[in-house]
Amino acid sequence: MITVEQTASGRASAREVVVWDPLVRLIHWSLALTILLNGAFVEEESKAHEWIGYVALGLVGLRLVWALFGPAYARFSAFPPSPARAVRHLRAIVRGNRSVHLSHNPLGTLMVYNIWASVIAIGVTGYMMTTITFFGVEWVEEAHEVLFGWLLFSVSLHVAGVAFDTWWSGVNLVRAMINGRKTIPEGRKVQ
Amino acid sequence: MKLGLWPAKTKERRATVLAGLILLQGVSALFFIGDVILDFREDGHLDNPHLLLESIAAVALVSGVIFLMIELRGLMSRMSDMQTGLDIAHGHMAAIVGEFFDEWNLTQAERDVALMILKGLDNDAIARVRNTASGTVRAQATSIYAKSNSDGRAQFISLFVEELIAGNERLAQGA
Repeated sequence: MITVEQTASGRASAREVVVWDPLVRLIHWSLALTILLNGAFVEEESKAHEWIGYVALGLVGLRLVWALFGPAYARFSAFPPSPARAVRHLRAIVRGNRSVHLSHNPLGTLMVYNIWASVIAIGVTGYMMTTITFFGVEWVEEAHEVLFGWLLFSVSLHVAGVAFDTWWSGVNLVRAMINGRKTIPEGRKVQ
Repeated sequence: MKLGLWPAKTKERRATVLAGLILLQGVSALFFIGDVILDFREDGHLDNPHLLLESIAAVALVSGVIFLMIELRGLMSRMSDMQTGLDIAHGHMAAIVGEFFDEWNLTQAERDVALMILKGLDNDAIARVRNTASGTVRAQATSIYAKSNSDGRAQFISLFVEELIAGNERLAQGA
């Protein structure tokens, strides 16, 4: 029996799980694109900069709605923001536990909320700069810029985290965010 | 549950199109709402036909987004049901093959050869994979056919195909 199963599948029974639905993936890469465009390519005080900013806000808004109604892995319940879980996850890494998280891992979860909150805060301060009340007010402009610096730092940390987790758990996270599937290595525990 | 009537690829493409529509429509809905709020702030009353039409459009867009989201969620859960069904079928097939081999008292070498026959390898290929002479494989195959009461490769394979078809009928009746 066991031998049949082992030889039956050519690749040593690694399993694939569909984790990220297309909406999650589209929102993820669109948001990345808006950040890249507004951060690096578009003139800062242009109309295009404003519109791209609003699109970014809309994307995060849509993702939050999807986190209420969407499929299981996309929902808030799959990745509750919990520093305690993040600490436990860190300890597990130190102990050499390489189990796979199907949704975001607890550390990644904190990063997700951090990036969403940063984008919203950048969007709001950006909008404030276009209003008569706050136009030219210094603290708003400064907040906008400091928040963007924080976002850049967060994004680089996010990329580093993805690289680390891909190496550590053996699940290619970038590919999972492109085709939606996580390939779980054989015999790896799943949470 | 309709198993396999719609190929998985088509479903996946449909899900991607749905997601794209949700994205476009959702962002446009937010713009419309923003515009309505701005206009209302400037104008102050809702009886203005332009504003009324805009509000209706915003409501329609939002309902559309919600409807598409429900559609997409349903599609995603149907896709995962289908995957579960396939996994179960794969698991069952492996179990059935194993049971048959047990029943016929195949030796370990014969089990390996029988499995490769099921996968469509010819005797020469099996000999190469197992690093044995093709005469040995032929002898093992003959022994497998004798133990399974079949008169050759085709009938041996059809034993399992028959099992699959019978299994499907049972599934269909149960559904």
